[in-house]
Amino acid sequence: MRHEVKKICRIVDELTTLLLKEDTNEVDFKIKREKDRTVISIVDYRTTYTAEDVQEFSACFDVQRQHEVEEYYWQLVGESDGDAELTVIGTMIDEASVTLKDGNMYIELVRYRE
Amino acid sequence: MVLRKKIVEKEIHKKQLLWILSAFPIAFLFFAFLNRDALLDGLWTIHLSPTILITDFLALGGIGAAFLNAALIGFMNLFLLNRFKMKINGLLIAAFLTMLGFAFLGKNLINIFPLYIGGWLYAKSQKIHMRDVIAVIMFSTGLSPIISQIMFADLFPTVLGFTLGFSVGVLIGFTITPIAAHMVKFHDGHNLYNIGFTAGIIGTLFASILRAIDKEIEPVSIIYTDSDLSIKILLMVLFLGLIVLGLYINPKSYKQYGYIFKYKGRMVTDFPFLVGHGITFVNMGSMGIFTVLLVTILGGVINGPILASIFTVVGFSALGKHFKNCIPIMLGVMATAFVLGMDLSQTTVIMAILFSTTVAPIAGSYGPVAGFLAGVLHLVIVMNIGMVHGGINLYNNGFSGGLVAGILIPVLDAFKKGD
Repeated sequence: MRHEVKKICRIVDELTTLLLKEDTNEVDFKIKREKDRTVISIVDYRTTYTAEDVQEFSACFDVQRQHEVEEYYWQLVGESDGDAELTVIGTMIDEASVTLKDGNMYIELVRYRE
Repeated sequence: MVLRKKIVEKEIHKKQLLWILSAFPIAFLFFAFLNRDALLDGLWTIHLSPTILITDFLALGGIGAAFLNAALIGFMNLFLLNRFKMKINGLLIAAFLTMLGFAFLGKNLINIFPLYIGGWLYAKSQKIHMRDVIAVIMFSTGLSPIISQIMFADLFPTVLGFTLGFSVGVLIGFTITPIAAHMVKFHDGHNLYNIGFTAGIIGTLFASILRAIDKEIEPVSIIYTDSDLSIKILLMVLFLGLIVLGLYINPKSYKQYGYIFKYKGRMVTDFPFLVGHGITFVNMGSMGIFTVLLVTILGGVINGPILASIFTVVGFSALGKHFKNCIPIMLGVMATAFVLGMDLSQTTVIMAILFSTTVAPIAGSYGPVAGFLAGVLHLVIVMNIGMVHGGINLYNNGFSGGLVAGILIPVLDAFKKGD
């Protein structure tokens, strides 16, 4: 079993924990599963993150897919409310965009099916 | 939350990183050539030994043969990393140096091979690439003594023993990836040698099976105690080389070194990604020199088990370890050993001091007092847990670290304030 759905849920879980704990009280998530990929769209309303933080988020997600890290550590994602596993999330996704607009932070993560 | 640091440094490509890592087996090969008395005989002895903890290859096969064995294992893994076009991250640096270190204490080409075959079969069965599981398989070789034990300890007739040992190795390689991924939840990523914990559980199962069929695993203690000056010089040159390389890649890494202390070290703290290769190499080299000096100050001898400890610490200094999260743990172990009247120059005690840093993330996440306490518990547990798996898990300290973290983390979390 490849646990594809569970991996997507864990990415969402990790980011929900992070945003609710560190940033805001209102978050929207949309998950769209397509034949060859899954797109996770997040809106973090009235964010306190600055443009610089957003760049840092972007850099964290922009690691390139690293399957060996994913296979070993994916079950850590979404486990803790003490630390964010953004590095692991970065290794589990293929594309990411993080933008700041009208006081909200928009995150879009794309994970391709292999 | 501490995210990635903006670091300006020279760009290092995948191939260049492979060359940097290859410096270790090349140096070992050269060192083996300098100590070439009975080189092939020693290598043969190493490969046909049951390799149960503690079988120091420096004592078993001689210095030259032990270093040749490590060089061969190093080259084999570098070949695979190159073949699979792996991006060399902190995880792979840690896996490679751990492999290299334990090539002085239990791993050889015969007893690691079946695990790779098992990993390859698992990848095939899951329709994924072997590169996806290579890191776990490299670490899984901590269970290689079970293969040698079944093959060469006269437990079974030769052909049956060889077939059974090979099959058990393949079975472990086939199953360890999902088990290891599951085990990280037990200690919540606070035990860096997660495969040590996993291997402890699997080792306990196989040791129990062997005992159930009246095949007793005899305890072993073959430890090198002669002169270690030339080994110390070699290690110092290698670790100083890492620092110089780090300073070349990032000339400001000396000033920026403090950045690394902001990271707690919990899995997955990939230092090359988070602070760059320059600071990472400076950290690895500094930790290496520190461990060599510590062993010297404590009056220990650098032998196979200590080499395994040192290279594991250096490897994991690319994946979460630094002075701030390691020293409280080491102090906890040393203080406990002192109070219990243990000889701090003894190889097993020094191994516990160095390997205890597997729980460095506890000090990083919960502070030095919690780290010290983790060190105390680690020593107490590690001195008793080897008998459970009978020494077929080389990462005995990783097993202990998993238990320490699994016990401490829920308690420490319960008393944390906030939502």
